[in-house]
Amino acid sequence: MKRKALAIALTAAMAMGLVSSVPVMAEEEQVTIKVFSNLPDRTSGQGLIEQTLFDMYMEENPNVTIEVEALDDESYKTKFKAYASGSSMPDLVNVWGQPAFISEVIDAGLLAELNEDDYADYNFLDGSLNGFSQDGKLYGLARNTDVMGFYYNKAIFEECGVEVPTTWDELIGAVQTITDAGYIAISMDGSDKYPIAILIEDIYQKIAGSADTYSNAAAAVESGSYDESWTQAAQMVVDLVEAGGFQTGFETTDYGTALNLFTNGQAAMYYMGSWEMSMATNEDIDEETRNNISVFTMPLVDGGIGTATEICAWNGGGYSVTANSEVKDEAIALLNYMFEPDHWSKLAWENGVCMSAQNFSDYLTGEETSLQLEWIDIVSGSTSVSGTPINDLGTSEFKTVCEDSCVELAIGSLSVDEFYSALAAFAQ
Amino acid sequence: MKKLYSNKRVIFSLVAPGLFMFTVAILAPILLSIYYSFTNYSGIGDYWFIGIENYTTLFHDSVFWGALKNSLFLAIGFICIQHPLAIFVAVKLDKLQGKAEGIFRCIYFIPNVISVAVIAYLWKFIYNPNFGLLQKILEFFGYKGTINPLGSGTAIWAVLVVLIWHGFGWGMLIYYTGVKNIDPILYEAAAIDGASGTSTFFRVTLPLMKPVIQVNVTMAIISALKQMETVYLLTDGGPGNETQFMASYLYKQAFSSYKYGYGNAISVIFILICLLANLILQKVFQEKEVQEV
Repeated sequence: MKRKALAIALTAAMAMGLVSSVPVMAEEEQVTIKVFSNLPDRTSGQGLIEQTLFDMYMEENPNVTIEVEALDDESYKTKFKAYASGSSMPDLVNVWGQPAFISEVIDAGLLAELNEDDYADYNFLDGSLNGFSQDGKLYGLARNTDVMGFYYNKAIFEECGVEVPTTWDELIGAVQTITDAGYIAISMDGSDKYPIAILIEDIYQKIAGSADTYSNAAAAVESGSYDESWTQAAQMVVDLVEAGGFQTGFETTDYGTALNLFTNGQAAMYYMGSWEMSMATNEDIDEETRNNISVFTMPLVDGGIGTATEICAWNGGGYSVTANSEVKDEAIALLNYMFEPDHWSKLAWENGVCMSAQNFSDYLTGEETSLQLEWIDIVSGSTSVSGTPINDLGTSEFKTVCEDSCVELAIGSLSVDEFYSALAAFAQ
Repeated sequence: MKKLYSNKRVIFSLVAPGLFMFTVAILAPILLSIYYSFTNYSGIGDYWFIGIENYTTLFHDSVFWGALKNSLFLAIGFICIQHPLAIFVAVKLDKLQGKAEGIFRCIYFIPNVISVAVIAYLWKFIYNPNFGLLQKILEFFGYKGTINPLGSGTAIWAVLVVLIWHGFGWGMLIYYTGVKNIDPILYEAAAIDGASGTSTFFRVTLPLMKPVIQVNVTMAIISALKQMETVYLLTDGGPGNETQFMASYLYKQAFSSYKYGYGNAISVIFILICLLANLILQKVFQEKEVQEV
């Protein structure tokens, strides 16, 4: 009986030992990181790159599950606010490193501080993280370098006998020739409004020079005092519209429609950012058009001090980790993984999607599209950049009023003076 | 049983679910809205009480008054264009009889079953001056110019057309039900008396449809005041603020400008205007009923 009891006790002890040792060997805490993204298309463009990085991370870290909720920009901003006013924000979120968006979010203590030293060898371009910093603390990482330019269809230019304009007057001349030939000169996304605000800043830069564009714009927004260069820039936008520069109904043309007008050969030019460089590799676009897309930046303005190498560029979108995240460390680890130099930067460039906010010169493949190479030339040859555009330099209310007023200016509902009076009303 | 229903606990248990739902789903949000309307809350972070500042700003806000004017314009458009047309079509449908009646009833109702997002984009494309259907039709008939219905000056009319088209089915169906409920003997009597089609319509059909008209007009005005989704997707209140309506302006202030407190002030005034419109309509219809008695 004693032996039987001993055997049972030993068996039980062995079983207990086995049971207790199994979790020690296999147990690795399961972590779920919730990501809120403004890239709803997960199968192409930047959304694909983001998803690829998440998939790679999950493969390398089997205990991590990444749940993505993605909405387009406007819906994203609305839901971001709903999340922000509640208590359950996702762990990793997209943010815009511009005062109109990020200042209120940082002030409300919603974003986790990042350790700047962690990114010393991440090759972020000088100044690219400034928009994500406040009071010397870093709250996010920039995703892209955004540059504004005129995409143009070389075949249409050739057909119309138009050369790439190097001055504003040549641009107006080209507009007239192109419209006379029955094409839309410049396809403009007026529904989203911001391209017109950026256009004003782009012209302003050529008038006043970009060395002080950012500080001048910020000072103007703060003081409500807009000098003659601003007035001239606004007037030039009005002149461009009056010359038939944009398509009829540009004020209600949305992003996709404006893009389509250009890619289906109805428009000769398309004023948009470098993030659209993937047009050159997009197989949904007719091959002939795709191979004929080229780009130039804002031409020089007669009497202006801005040079051809001063470009309208900034670092806008990026990522932050939320301060109250229950998996803050894991979310920061994911963020850091995404921006390791050979991840976002490399993948984005190799796929012809965009130019990252990091130095990507090591990842040139030699197989870049001509459009990619042109953008590289523009950026590498630039002597200074404008920084955050004027519409994003104030509060979110200023942004709304500024962008609305830009459209009203362009359609003639506001005069240039009324336009700046509307902006001046928001002097802080 | 009588004893059971006089028991206060039983009464309370029967009333409580409804009362709870009313408090949570209607009363609490309205009270919260009133509370926030006295603050400078941006929707994020801290906020302070600022008294009636939001309301004083609102009364000087030209965009808000423009939005109210647009809502009233829409209500008038519904009453003066959509509803007479809907009554006319309902009467004609009633006369059709047979299979055709059912087929046309379905056709007229189709816009109501299509999602608002689809409708907005459909009309955006129809109106597009560069490749839109409307432009192409005009070009087919030899028109050389370019028309931009959603442009400055015409956008509000373009929006009105879409909203009339979209809501037509509902209005027509209610009127159709009203027409169907009229006793055919009355038409026979009118015909025996030698009444023409027009006088039968004005002296028999229309007077007997008054209760239906009252319901439909009230619904049209409330729907005009509440207009949001179609306009938001079609024009987003633009160009400028030409097609801004109260609900879309409220949304813009609260969610684009991050002026949540101000947005709530608009919503409070919005509720008051809706209530006022309802009261006026009730009063108007009541007075008419009294006069008729």
